Amino acid sequence: MPLGQPSSAVHVQNVPAGSHSSQPRTPTLVTLHPVALFSILDHYLRRMDKQERVIGTLLGVRNDSGEVEVRSSYAVVHKETAELVAVDMEYHRTMYELHHRVHLKEAIIGWYSTGSNLDTYSALIQNFYAQETAPHPAVHIALNTGVEEGQEPGVKAYVSSPVGVHPKPENCVFVPVPCEFRFHDAERSGLDLLTSDSASPLSDLETLAESLKAVSSMLDRVLGYVRSVLSGEVKGDPAVGRYLMDTFGADTGELEKGGFRDSLQDTLMVSYLAELVRSQAEVSSRLALVTAS
Amino acid sequence: MSAAPSMAAALAASLPVQQAAPAPVAPTYEAIPASMAKVIDIEAEIPVESVQLDGLVVTKIIKHSREAPSSSAHGLLLGLDLDGTLEVSNSFPLPHHAGDEDDKSTKSVARYQAQMLRSLKEVQSDDSVVGFYQASTMGAFFSQALIDTQAIHQDKLRHGGIVVVHDITQTARGNASFRAFRLTKAFLDAFKKNNFSAPSLIDHRLTFSTILEEIPVKIRTNALLNSFLDTLTTPTQSHLPDASPAVASTSSLPPSFSTLDIGAIGLIRNLEQVNDALDAYRTEEGNLAYLQRQIAREKSRADAYIAKRKEENATRVAQGLAPLPEEDVSRLFKIPPEPSRLESMLLLGQVDAYGKSLAGITSAGLVKMYAAKASSDI
Repeated sequence: MPLGQPSSAVHVQNVPAGSHSSQPRTPTLVTLHPVALFSILDHYLRRMDKQERVIGTLLGVRNDSGEVEVRSSYAVVHKETAELVAVDMEYHRTMYELHHRVHLKEAIIGWYSTGSNLDTYSALIQNFYAQETAPHPAVHIALNTGVEEGQEPGVKAYVSSPVGVHPKPENCVFVPVPCEFRFHDAERSGLDLLTSDSASPLSDLETLAESLKAVSSMLDRVLGYVRSVLSGEVKGDPAVGRYLMDTFGADTGELEKGGFRDSLQDTLMVSYLAELVRSQAEVSSRLALVTAS
Repeated sequence: MSAAPSMAAALAASLPVQQAAPAPVAPTYEAIPASMAKVIDIEAEIPVESVQLDGLVVTKIIKHSREAPSSSAHGLLLGLDLDGTLEVSNSFPLPHHAGDEDDKSTKSVARYQAQMLRSLKEVQSDDSVVGFYQASTMGAFFSQALIDTQAIHQDKLRHGGIVVVHDITQTARGNASFRAFRLTKAFLDAFKKNNFSAPSLIDHRLTFSTILEEIPVKIRTNALLNSFLDTLTTPTQSHLPDASPAVASTSSLPPSFSTLDIGAIGLIRNLEQVNDALDAYRTEEGNLAYLQRQIAREKSRADAYIAKRKEENATRVAQGLAPLPEEDVSRLFKIPPEPSRLESMLLLGQVDAYGKSLAGITSAGLVKMYAAKASSDI
């Protein structure tokens, strides 16, 4: 699931056979978790008026296969003028200590900045972070919020490599790395909540009703398409027809119906039991009040 | 549990002191115009009616709850109250202190909290604590620690803090659940006096359902987040021709239909939990009954003594002698105090909560099973 504009470029990397997992390798893939992404957006919202872009640290874990997971992020105080750039290293250290106490496995992965321009300052900051993440290369994520004109919202990830005859900290080349958005199942339902239209969390039955409505509308669309093909209005696409047949043609003849019925009975019984337990608890608590001393 | 009260005390010590309203500079001050009166609410007069959670807080709480070992995830909520709505704009997790190393761990938690608040202030985040959040499984969140912390918060914070409870199991099933609670006044009264005996419960009309009152929760995503989420969910066409439906149009956040899965996951565990909670409740009730019997025994002995005394006095008066003084009975017979029923009330609350989540799971499961039955003619 690419973030932002998908490109047709293919990322090729030469991985030597039998390489040790502890050797620092360039990351092959950067996956971003929702928490990190939303923290960055929140920090961008809270920036002061004079700041054009904000930077912060990325935290996460590295896999053996060269994949880098960015799990969370925090903002770092920094100042940028035409002549100088200053990053508050104390603050960065302190926040990392605090963060480490709660999430023990996460290490410093790199840094982020909003705005997608990569200039000398980015190279300097990249150099600083490379020292922090040594021996692994530091990952830089440039997040474009899409607030300015002509810029699409998206996220791009880079690692740096030195360039030039004499490598200097201010010069480096940013090599793009594929970046993806990944989340766990539990976070999935949280994201559903955020993207849904309702303002407040719904009960189980209501979310079920929403999903069923969505499926029902999809079925209506498919039905409309099939009907129009049958009546000859639209030329049927054989590929689509085959996919539809695969999906809907599931045969329930061989299914074990007895097991299903038993399971249904069990669920009914458990439901009755739950109501019974609840009413018992209520009665018991009131009885405790009634006992006259 | 000695760890809980001392941690609560350390939290109380570390909470920021209430800032006094700034004194007016000019000798003649203007009253706040009526239109702004609701925004600038210095005396915390407008009661909090609803809670608004920011999208960032939602994801942070989910992430922390998922990663913490067992359901011990808890942390603080930061934000501001505005015209009757408590807006929570940020949150951070608190480190989990394992074991009861009383002093050291509670002090370090307090230090962590102070440092975190200071750091957040430097990046222009809100730094006023408005409550705390707690992860729970299967809806059972009645615990002594939670009530202690909430009582302290309600004392010290501006509007009385709220506690947001996040149910991990329900979120795993596909429906993120966030509920906000506050201790009721009746319960707070009883808690302050630390008297949970039967007569005091009757006075305050306390049952497990009146310990906490629920406050409606709203979820808000700011405009930037909204637009970003839109970008993530819009499907993009694949450039490859003849792509199968799975990859023809992809988006970073495709809609999920995990709520439609049929399966009795969690039902068995839930039943086990109900069993355990009921057993614990029965034990507790047994203890209470034992204590009650002791009290009754002592009382009956004291009563018998008084009756004997009265008889003796009556006979003595009849014989014309001076009556013996009626000694202070309470010094002779030490009647133990009424036992606290808080624990059993909490356990009942747990049982009820398990029952409620069980009912929720089964009703959704029934709907799905009947739908499957109807559509595939089983």
